[in-house]
Amino acid sequence: MSEAITQAALLSLVDDWISGGRTVSGPSFVKEGLLLYEDLQNAGQLALGKVIRPADSIKKYFLPRHEELYRYTFAGQNTCLENIDLVPVERVIVGARPCDAAALPVLDKVFNWDYVDEFYTRRRDATTVVTIACTLWDDQCFCTSVGLGPAVEKGSDVLLLPLAEGYEVRCLTEKGQRLFAGKTTPSETMAAAPTGPERKFDTKEIDALLHGDYENPVWRDIALRCLGCGSCAFTCPTCHCFDITDEGNASGGCRVKNWDCCQFNMFTMHASGHNPRSNQAQRQRQRIQHKFRIYPDKFGEVLCTGCGNCTRNCPVSLGVLTTMEALASSDAGRDATENAASLKG
Amino acid sequence: MNNIYMPELMKVIGVKQHTADVKSVKIRFQDPATTDAFSFRVGQFGMFSAFGSGESTFNICSSSNWKDHIEFCFRKTGMVTESLWRIEEGDSIGFRGPYGNSYPMEDWEGRNLIFIGGGIAMPPIRCAIWYALENRAKYGDITIVYGARTAADFVFADELDQWAQAERTRVVRCVDPGGETPDWNYEVGLIPHVIERAAIPAENSIALVVGPPIMIKFTLPVLDKMGLGTKDIYTSLENRMKCGVGKCGRCNCGPVYVCKEGPIFTLEQLHRLPLDY
Repeated sequence: MSEAITQAALLSLVDDWISGGRTVSGPSFVKEGLLLYEDLQNAGQLALGKVIRPADSIKKYFLPRHEELYRYTFAGQNTCLENIDLVPVERVIVGARPCDAAALPVLDKVFNWDYVDEFYTRRRDATTVVTIACTLWDDQCFCTSVGLGPAVEKGSDVLLLPLAEGYEVRCLTEKGQRLFAGKTTPSETMAAAPTGPERKFDTKEIDALLHGDYENPVWRDIALRCLGCGSCAFTCPTCHCFDITDEGNASGGCRVKNWDCCQFNMFTMHASGHNPRSNQAQRQRQRIQHKFRIYPDKFGEVLCTGCGNCTRNCPVSLGVLTTMEALASSDAGRDATENAASLKG
Repeated sequence: MNNIYMPELMKVIGVKQHTADVKSVKIRFQDPATTDAFSFRVGQFGMFSAFGSGESTFNICSSSNWKDHIEFCFRKTGMVTESLWRIEEGDSIGFRGPYGNSYPMEDWEGRNLIFIGGGIAMPPIRCAIWYALENRAKYGDITIVYGARTAADFVFADELDQWAQAERTRVVRCVDPGGETPDWNYEVGLIPHVIERAAIPAENSIALVVGPPIMIKFTLPVLDKMGLGTKDIYTSLENRMKCGVGKCGRCNCGPVYVCKEGPIFTLEQLHRLPLDY
C-alpha cells in the first residue's frame, strides 16, 4: 500500500498553499529554454514533466546570494549596532530535484559545525522541501556516481514518485506530513524505481587520486580552458563559500554576506599581494579537492550531489564530470586503474 | 538572534604609530561585563571591524595577562586598514573573537625560546614574548631576533629596548643591507644570515618564526642546521579569512582550515600540508 495524489490534486494543493499565505517556489520557465527555481504566483507556472533540472539550485533559499548580517549607524565617535532578527518566510519548495534536496544535509554540517549560523538554520527550519523523483537525465547527470540516485530521499520532506497518472507520495518528515495530511489517497500501485544515469566514476578511486599526486599536470591542462567565471560554483547546490563586505556611507550602513567563488583570484589573496592560490590550476584543484577530499575528510561524505550543473552551465563545458574524466585518464589515473585491475586479477 | 557575525563594540583607548605605515591600537569592550567575561590565549586572532569599510583579520598582539584591554597592529595596505589608519582615541570599532588555536605556552615551559620575526610579523610574536616575560621563571633563555627592511621599519621598537633589559633575554636586531642609518649600532644582514652569526644555542629550544613567506623559507634550513627539530619550530599562518569560524571556505591549506585548526602550526604539521600558504 502506498499513498498517491493525482497531478490535478497536486496542482490544486499548490494553489491552496499559495492562497494560504505560504511562499511556494518551484521550477518555472522564466523565458524559453531557461528553467529556474522561482517563487510561484500560481500552480500553472510550475514546470513539471519533460525537463531535466533547473539551471540554478535551491541553495539560494537557505543561503541567499546577498544578505544583510547587521546594520550600523554612526553618531559622532559612537557607533550603534543593530542585530537582525531574521524571521524567514514559510516556504514550500515543490518540484525540487533529489540532487538539490540531497545538498541540504551536506550544507547543514557546514553551517552547524562548531558555530551555528542561524541565518541558515532559521531558513532551513521554515522551509519544506517537496521533491519529485527524476524520470529523465542527461549526459551531465552523475548522481549515481556519488552514492545518490534519481529517487533518493536525502534532504527531502516529501518525495513524489511519478506514476502513470499522478504521483506516489512519501512523507518523510513531520513537516512533510503536515503539508499532505488528508490530501492523498491510498493506492495499490507503487512507483517503479528509476534507474538513473549510468555510473561514471568511482569516488574511492578519485579519493585515492586526490590524496596522491597533488601536482598532477592534469590541473594545468584543465585550467587552460577555465575562464574563472564562477558559473560552476554559483549554480552548484553544495558550493557555499561566501564573502563578507560592507555597504556603508558617512551615516551608517550594513555588513553583508555575498556568494563568493574559489575560482576568483581575489578569493585567497593576502593583503601583502601574496596569493597562496595564484593561478587557475591551483584554483581548479582547490574546487575538486574541497568537494572530494577536504569536505569528506572532515564530514564523511562528498560535497557534490552529481547534478551536473557545473558542466551544463560552464561556457567551456568544464565541470566535476569532465574533470573526473581528465583525472582518470591522466598518468596517475591510469596507474590507479591498472593497480586496481592487477589486484583484482 | 544569536548572530555569529555580529561583533562586539570596542572603544579605542590608544593609538600608536610605529612606522610610516604601521600603527597599533588599544581597545576596550564598551560593555564592562564583556571585559570581565573575555579571555583569550596568546596566538589567537580576531576579526576587527572598521564599520563602513569592512573587517580584517589580525592577531591579538597583547598579552593574555592584560585584562582591561586588547591590542592589534596593522600595516596600511587596503580599504579596511586605510579606515583603521584614521581612527582616533574615543572612536568605536568592532571585534569578533578570539578565534583559532594558540601558542602552546605550557608545553614551552622549561624550554629556551627563540623568537624570530620579520617586519610587520612582530605583533604575533610580541604577545608571546610578553607572556613569557611575565612568567619569566617558567622559561629558559629567551632570544629575540627581529629584522626589518630599514632602521625606520621596526614595530614596537621601544619594547625591544625593554626586552633587552629583561633577565636571560637577548635581543638581536637587524636591518637589510642598505637599510641602516649612520647611527645604527646593531646587525646588518638578512635574518637567516644574522641567525647563523648570532650563534644561538639550540639545545632544548623551540623557535617561533613569523614573517613573509620568503623569510620563513630561508630561515628554516638555518634552524635545521642548528639542530632544531620540525616539532620544535612553530609559525603562524596568515591566510585570508572572512568568517573566522570555518564557514566561508577560503583559508584552507589542503584539508586544514587555518581559522579552526590554525593559525599556529609546527613545521612538522606544515610539511604534511600542500603549499597553499
